[in-house]
Amino acid sequence: MSDLVIRELTKTYYDLYSGQHVTAVQDVSLELREGEFVSIVGPSGCGKTTLLNVIAGFIPPTRGEVLLDGRRVQGPGPDRGVVFQSFALFPWKTVLQNVAFGLKMRGLGRAERERVAREHIALVGLAGSEGQYPHELSGGMQQRVGVARVLANHPEVMLMDEPFASVDAQTRMTLQEELTRIWEAKHPTVLFVTHDVDEAVFLANRVVVLSARPARVREVVAVDLPRPRSWTALVEDAAYKRLVARVLALVRTPAP
Amino acid sequence: MALAGTVLPAPWWGRPLRWLVRQPAWRTLGPFVPIAALWALAVELEIFPRAFFPGPLEVLRAFGSLIYKGVLPQYLQDSVVRLAVGTGLGVLAGVPFGILIGLHTRSYRFFWPLVIFFQAIGDIAWLPILLIWFGFTLTTMTFVIVYTVVFPVIFNTALGVRTVPLEMIRAAQSLGAPRWRILGDVVLPGALPNVVTGLRNGLGYGWRALIAAEIIVGTSGIGFMMFDARRSGSVVEMLLGMIVLGILWYVVDGGILAPLERATIQRWGMVTDV
Amino acid sequence: MRAAARTAPRPQRRTGTAAAALLWFAAPFAALVAAWLLAVRAFDVPLRVFPGPGDVVAAFRQQAAVGALWTHVRESLTRVLVGSTLAVVTSVPLGIAISTNRTVAGFFAPILRFFSVLAGIAWIPLATLWFGYGFGAITFIIFNAVFFIVVYNTMLGVSRIPLALRHAARSLGAGPVQIVLEVLLPGALPNIVTGIRTGMGFAWRGLIAAEIIATNAGLGYMLFLARDFYRTEVIVLGMILIGAIWVAIDRLVLAPLERRTIERWGLTRRVA
Repeated sequence: MSDLVIRELTKTYYDLYSGQHVTAVQDVSLELREGEFVSIVGPSGCGKTTLLNVIAGFIPPTRGEVLLDGRRVQGPGPDRGVVFQSFALFPWKTVLQNVAFGLKMRGLGRAERERVAREHIALVGLAGSEGQYPHELSGGMQQRVGVARVLANHPEVMLMDEPFASVDAQTRMTLQEELTRIWEAKHPTVLFVTHDVDEAVFLANRVVVLSARPARVREVVAVDLPRPRSWTALVEDAAYKRLVARVLALVRTPAP
Repeated sequence: MALAGTVLPAPWWGRPLRWLVRQPAWRTLGPFVPIAALWALAVELEIFPRAFFPGPLEVLRAFGSLIYKGVLPQYLQDSVVRLAVGTGLGVLAGVPFGILIGLHTRSYRFFWPLVIFFQAIGDIAWLPILLIWFGFTLTTMTFVIVYTVVFPVIFNTALGVRTVPLEMIRAAQSLGAPRWRILGDVVLPGALPNVVTGLRNGLGYGWRALIAAEIIVGTSGIGFMMFDARRSGSVVEMLLGMIVLGILWYVVDGGILAPLERATIQRWGMVTDV
Repeated sequence: MRAAARTAPRPQRRTGTAAAALLWFAAPFAALVAAWLLAVRAFDVPLRVFPGPGDVVAAFRQQAAVGALWTHVRESLTRVLVGSTLAVVTSVPLGIAISTNRTVAGFFAPILRFFSVLAGIAWIPLATLWFGYGFGAITFIIFNAVFFIVVYNTMLGVSRIPLALRHAARSLGAGPVQIVLEVLLPGALPNIVTGIRTGMGFAWRGLIAAEIIATNAGLGYMLFLARDFYRTEVIVLGMILIGAIWVAIDRLVLAPLERRTIERWGLTRRVA
């Protein structure tokens, strides 16, 4: 796990429908230390997913750069694992095969990668489901597989693109607590994009608030709440509520 | 499909009827019983002259006699073998090409108009020139079948490849998969439902093409039997041929394609609308 | 892998690339003709085996001048038009009528699938026996090719209309006729149009086959007549015409029809 540095990142693209150049992300600079959990929030459509896609390497930046441990990022790779909103599990592979996929790509032998995969399946609380196919699982379970799949590959940074948005509210809360638990056990470096302010504050050490499009870093809010965190504890907590109110205000009011 | 949903009456024949209706054989064959009955009735009433419109019993009799003479099984075998060979070649040619134009935008833009044009010419229009080149032989017939099968296979394969969800490909990339792995582990399995649909359509078209080719060119086979029957004025054999065709399609579709679908696509929960 | 990374087609650029599109369309054919010319010259292919592009053009001029070409084209097109129109006009109402009752629909579905498989060509022997050679038999084949497929697709289309829509119409006071006209027909339209397109594809093929066997005018006939005299340039001319006419019908008439009904109403994302 190492430092992720984003330096003056700008992304502009040509919109075919309107025939104009649109700037989605403007001069965003950010630094993640190893083992940090950083949330990114912003108004709807502000460009946070675009930002994540550039960091992940799926699309190239127009200007600026992304450095991981000093190395420039070019294209996607196992050093930046991605958890997708749509889960993106391979329907023709079992849970075990999905989670072992990255390890297979690295060339690990069968016994070894299955061992590691099982470990991570148990970590996300799905022991016993190894032989099932994704379509047999609920949304919440599928996303756990998505998380396990990335963690099993030991990426340097874990990028999460609104991973719980496709799941119902109660399952979401369970998954958020699960994610915190896993993070507190393993301390991966996580960049978590979401539109849900409650979620952003609950999970993170720091919350980066983006402005409306073109996305700029408006403010970075430190979250000093004690760990381990749980919903029952925080729901009544004054400090938590204050932080949420502050971030919400930043998101909902236009930048001066 | 629908009969199971209707409310069945209580009297003594209610229970056996309920049992009957639930048998899968009933669902497929059941509807044909009244048709056959209507047919027999129409023949009895001599709505059309007997010579032009024979009844089910006569067809059955002809079926029996042709089996006995060994003619029908032989023709059947000939037709089926030709279809199998032609379809196999068509799939072998069509799938790689479909993958190419599905993945490579430039290839797609270049080849697409040509593919559409050649599909529009149709297999039958090739027959005259094929007959000049190869005469009334198996090569001609195989060419026609391959030509017909290849297009639905190409279209459906290309469609399948192009509609593999972007995020699935990105997921594989972010898990460290090299390009060839993405092709084999993500794109091909992802395209499989569409490839099977293409195969299914292709077989259907190929089947029809086979019959046409046999009618025009053939020396044996079901299509030939039908056309020969026409020349000798035997309507019975014509009808028999048509019925055999339909039944055979059912068998192929149910006995080969459906199990294939079950083993792969349904197991993976990727069923597409038929 | 970038080409595979599209889940929906790119929206068309509106800014003046129509010329580029035309070029992209013409280029492969130009390449094909060039390759054709080269192959015929390089391998010294005799006319008896395969004509060169020049021979085909000459044949075109000659046939057109004599007037035979137009006769054949006209015959073929008329037959296809008459047969298809007849089929569509009878099959759509029948399809809708059958599908109003679920039990009846479920009952007929296997039968229709059965007959769909036999579409077109398989009926040729029987058709010639019943109607003799000529217009009747051919129209029957065409009718046949379109009829079963459109009925089947109509039924499929109606069955796919969410029940909620029918309930909504009824709770807004619609009577049975209005439900058919305002809900069932428009709702099934995508499938109906697809069915028509597929059916006409079969009809065109069946037409050519039928003309080969059963008549004395039309493109299919022209093709087969030329074969008897080994006039490959006429054969290839015929093939090109057959292909070009169908491409014209499909791309200029049927596809826009499909696009306008389906995509305008947002019922599907894309049409092949």
